[in-house]
Amino acid sequence: MTTVEKVESELLDVSPGKAAGARLKSSGFVRYIPLILLAIVIIVIGLYTPNFLTARNAINILRQSAALGLMAIGMTTVMIGGGIDLSIPSMMAFSGILGAMYMRDGGNPFVAALIMVGAGMLGGSINGFAVAYLRMIPFVVTLAMMNIAMGASIWITQSVSVAPINQGFIDVVMAKFGIIPMPVIFVAIVTLIAQVLMKNGIFGRWLFAVGTNVRAARVSGIPTQRVIFSTYVVSGLFAGLAAMLVVARLMSAAPTMGEEGVVLDIVSSAVVGGTSIYGGLGSPLGSVIGALFITLITNSMNMMKISYYWTLIIKGLVIVIAVILDSLRRR
Amino acid sequence: MAEPYLRMVGIQKSFPGVQALKGVDFEAFAGEALALIGANGAGKSTLMNVLGGVIQPDAGQILIAGQPVEIHDPLQAAAHGIAFVHQEMAILRTLTIAENLYITSFPTRNGLIDFEQANRLSSSVLARLGHDFPPETRMRDLSPGDQQIVEIARALLGEPRLIIFDEPTSSLTSREKARLFEVIRSLKKEGVTVIYITHLLDEVFGICERAVVLRNGETVGGGMLSQLTYAEIVRLMIGTADVSSYFRHRTAQIGDIILKVSGLNQKGVLSEISFELRKGEVLGLWGLMGSGRTELSRAIIGLDPIDSGSIEIRANGSLKPIQPRQAKKWIGMVTENRREEGLLLPKSVKTNISLANLPALISRVWPLVDNKKETQEARTYVDRLKIMISSLEQPVETLSGGNQQKVVVGRWLQRNPVIYIMDEPTRGLDVGAKAEIRTVILELADAGAAVILVSSDIDQIMSMSDRYLVMNRGRITQELPASASKDELIAAAAGGQ
Amino acid sequence: MNKTKREPFNLRNFVLSYGFQIVLALLFIFYAVSTENFLTPSNLINILHAAAPTMILASGLALVIMTGKLDISIGSIIFLTTAIGGTLMTRAGVSPWIAIPLMVMIGAVCGALNGFIVTVLRVNPFITTMGTMFILRGAALFVSEGLLVSIPDFMKKFGNAKVGPVFVDILIAFVFLALMHIFHTRTKFGRQVMAVGNGEEVATRLGVRTKRVVFTTFVLSGLFASLGGILSMSQLGGVSLHMGVGLEFTGIAVAVIGGISLFGGEGSYTGLALGALTLVIIENGLVHVGASPYIYPLVRGGIIFIAMYADSLKARVQARGRIETIEQAPAAAD
Repeated sequence: MTTVEKVESELLDVSPGKAAGARLKSSGFVRYIPLILLAIVIIVIGLYTPNFLTARNAINILRQSAALGLMAIGMTTVMIGGGIDLSIPSMMAFSGILGAMYMRDGGNPFVAALIMVGAGMLGGSINGFAVAYLRMIPFVVTLAMMNIAMGASIWITQSVSVAPINQGFIDVVMAKFGIIPMPVIFVAIVTLIAQVLMKNGIFGRWLFAVGTNVRAARVSGIPTQRVIFSTYVVSGLFAGLAAMLVVARLMSAAPTMGEEGVVLDIVSSAVVGGTSIYGGLGSPLGSVIGALFITLITNSMNMMKISYYWTLIIKGLVIVIAVILDSLRRR
Repeated sequence: MAEPYLRMVGIQKSFPGVQALKGVDFEAFAGEALALIGANGAGKSTLMNVLGGVIQPDAGQILIAGQPVEIHDPLQAAAHGIAFVHQEMAILRTLTIAENLYITSFPTRNGLIDFEQANRLSSSVLARLGHDFPPETRMRDLSPGDQQIVEIARALLGEPRLIIFDEPTSSLTSREKARLFEVIRSLKKEGVTVIYITHLLDEVFGICERAVVLRNGETVGGGMLSQLTYAEIVRLMIGTADVSSYFRHRTAQIGDIILKVSGLNQKGVLSEISFELRKGEVLGLWGLMGSGRTELSRAIIGLDPIDSGSIEIRANGSLKPIQPRQAKKWIGMVTENRREEGLLLPKSVKTNISLANLPALISRVWPLVDNKKETQEARTYVDRLKIMISSLEQPVETLSGGNQQKVVVGRWLQRNPVIYIMDEPTRGLDVGAKAEIRTVILELADAGAAVILVSSDIDQIMSMSDRYLVMNRGRITQELPASASKDELIAAAAGGQ
Repeated sequence: MNKTKREPFNLRNFVLSYGFQIVLALLFIFYAVSTENFLTPSNLINILHAAAPTMILASGLALVIMTGKLDISIGSIIFLTTAIGGTLMTRAGVSPWIAIPLMVMIGAVCGALNGFIVTVLRVNPFITTMGTMFILRGAALFVSEGLLVSIPDFMKKFGNAKVGPVFVDILIAFVFLALMHIFHTRTKFGRQVMAVGNGEEVATRLGVRTKRVVFTTFVLSGLFASLGGILSMSQLGGVSLHMGVGLEFTGIAVAVIGGISLFGGEGSYTGLALGALTLVIIENGLVHVGASPYIYPLVRGGIIFIAMYADSLKARVQARGRIETIEQAPAAAD
């Protein structure tokens, strides 16, 4: 806060500051930017790509975005609390590898699923403990965790992909209801539950309070450390869930599942979906729409046969523009 | 009298939604110490920030020694011989004293910083202030008082002709304070103009010759302090005719002990604090700033850790020892800084009011907050406290200070704890809002709650308390009855000093 | 109130301040005793050789970190500048006397882009550089057309050239670090970098042109990254598709291990040199004890974690008053 803002806020303290209302009004519009962008992108791409606006491709995009959507929900949870979790993709890879190895060695697919989710939550709770109780910087902790999980993945696999995977596991995860694949239904349900819990669940309410003003939250009797801790466990949980989808889709598991680029996609999904990197704002639904948007870019660029490097450049631009909008909204 | 050294003419400044300065005229003479006085938000900081180049005025002119000048940033102000000692210290903790002093103006030799010279110069400035810290000392290894000395030394570096002190004594011990006053006196002798912003009138009479009082962005009076009384200045500041109009008329039904604190210690901050609080009682925690009042309230509800001591609270009929972090179950806390520790500023009034009470608002069917119940409850307390809002969805940051404070109070009313701790609940509020908050507090006590009230405003605390605990240097030094007079309270707070 | 005065010696502070130097010394002794080939002159020179590019490419990033910000785009800047340089020199036959200054300039321009977004558009530096990290990598792939870019033979020779028994790039790195040390401790800019790291608002109030300082650190970060990239490219003998991947994290790790705090306002170039050496010695030693190469990433991750944990512990112990701000720190070190 600059001195001027301080003077200003001191003044607002004693007089009804109507002007602040005007400042906030613009944020209403900013919230819908992801939806508007999504619509524009769909229309533009649809006009230029013959096979794009087909039910088949739509379902394809939905299915491709499923894992990203799950990880984006996890990231959003952490970001609302004012943190960031860079370790999601590498934890996803690591937990996927653990589950896959278990199945490769003849393990029960149901137990394998539990291993994936459990490993994710365990990793998340280490992050959460370090951030909430040891008071380390989220970025730093999860960066380190990212390196460790990646290192561990490479170590236990010796950089060889883990296969084969139990066919039953693949069949269940990739099942279809009519034409709609199971992952899509799963993500839709999870998103709805997360959305409602975040908006009206106690944890969600507490989380927004902590992300908006952690000191006020503490004075109000909210267990702030526990809330922050939980956000990382939740993001680990979602990393584990995403691992199930990814492993089933690839029919194998490898350290490359958690490559760096995925972090960017996750952060982009969340920020495009209206989550603030400064905490206190965001929604699971927005982030899943954001994930859809990011997948759409990748998918349409593939269909338009645009080179991989353009995809990188455009995704980079998307996140930069999204955070510029975010910081504008904060003023 | 001679031509004023500084003249500010018709200074206007608006911030969104409020006109902070409404055409202020202001003069200061060479070699005088001028007190700039005003209540919170009167515009004194804004005016001095204009002079210091921190903010730009919308209209008006500044003349120094009769010449009109433009001041667009602090560096330009410095070039015009204006130095500003801010209330909040600008400390570079990881750097040395010399680096802190010369960060923008290092002496150089062959293009590199000449630290020998910088250290020598630093020592000589510090010596002028009567200190001899080695200039290579890192800032973070100094006490707050010593840091302030460095801050003042920095102001003296440019040999300013005018120095603004904004509440300079808030972190000083009495000895450091005395030394500061000596420095100010010697500056005056050198012909330097000193503008002294404070709310402590004792200091004003001790060090300044002349006073200017601001209220609501206008100059409302002033004059030579030799011709003014304490009461006249207070009247100018507050604006209402009668300062001591409200006093407490309540026959309190004081009941059983509800909170018992014994032997509470927090190293270097609190020592051997023991007291009892009874149902229906308003207990005034009285003392000067830094006496440990706020620290004690924070320690009781577990916001800051304690080293030893016990806290007992009456639950189900008998006193039981509790851990401080559990205390929030029974104690509602209104902190002194509502923006930093009270409110979720961008969130709605409803969200803010429900904040402490969410588990009670859970629907019977789902593990979710019942929106209808939440709205009803919020509405109840908005009505009861007469909070002026356009809708429950209005963000609290758009409310006035008084209404914001009521939102914080409303949050705890809804939670309905047995004990309230109110730390400066009326700070920064206008007279009307102050009276309303006072009424609420008294109603709470009448309804059987116990209230610990912390306030630096002697009239406020006297208008509510049933009993006083006087604090000084982290200890409870005295207990006084409701009948204690203002003089007794002031004497008690001053303690051994 | 007066309890910030410090007792003269405090074991905890000592361990926190010199922890990694102690670990480095112990490791060194351990490797020296337990393996045959570690403590040989040629291996020691190899260690310095391996650390040389890192020392240079992290030295601009170190300035950014000292202001309390981050730049994770340096790996991509290295890829882009070396890809352009390699392409110009081998495919277009441009003289290295033109190509190399051009590479350095491009690095500086990329840094300026980051600096502009961070200071003028006021965007969180971590996310900004995360975005440019991908944009620049995309651009580099475009330039290299997704192929390995070779470099002229004399550049390859330069990468392994020696003066007597010592590699040339070791000498370059140490002269460079010595200059950076003077730049950091003895110039106004160097000190103002530390001032900004103590808090932007405070620095601004003291008259430091904060934005200009931050902008410049980003420019230098890009510039020195490309310099380090040139050394690295010469050592590697070409520009692969993975050029620079993960170097930003190596850079951050080196800085933090060397005691440059991610909270800003703390650190030195001697620390940076020690940090780079620590990392290289650990990995070099692992080779000599015959550890599986697949465990390197895990060890490296563990070291980074410990370094960062020590850093936040130190920040907490040394600046109790700043706990609140740390706790409220947004997603990245903002």
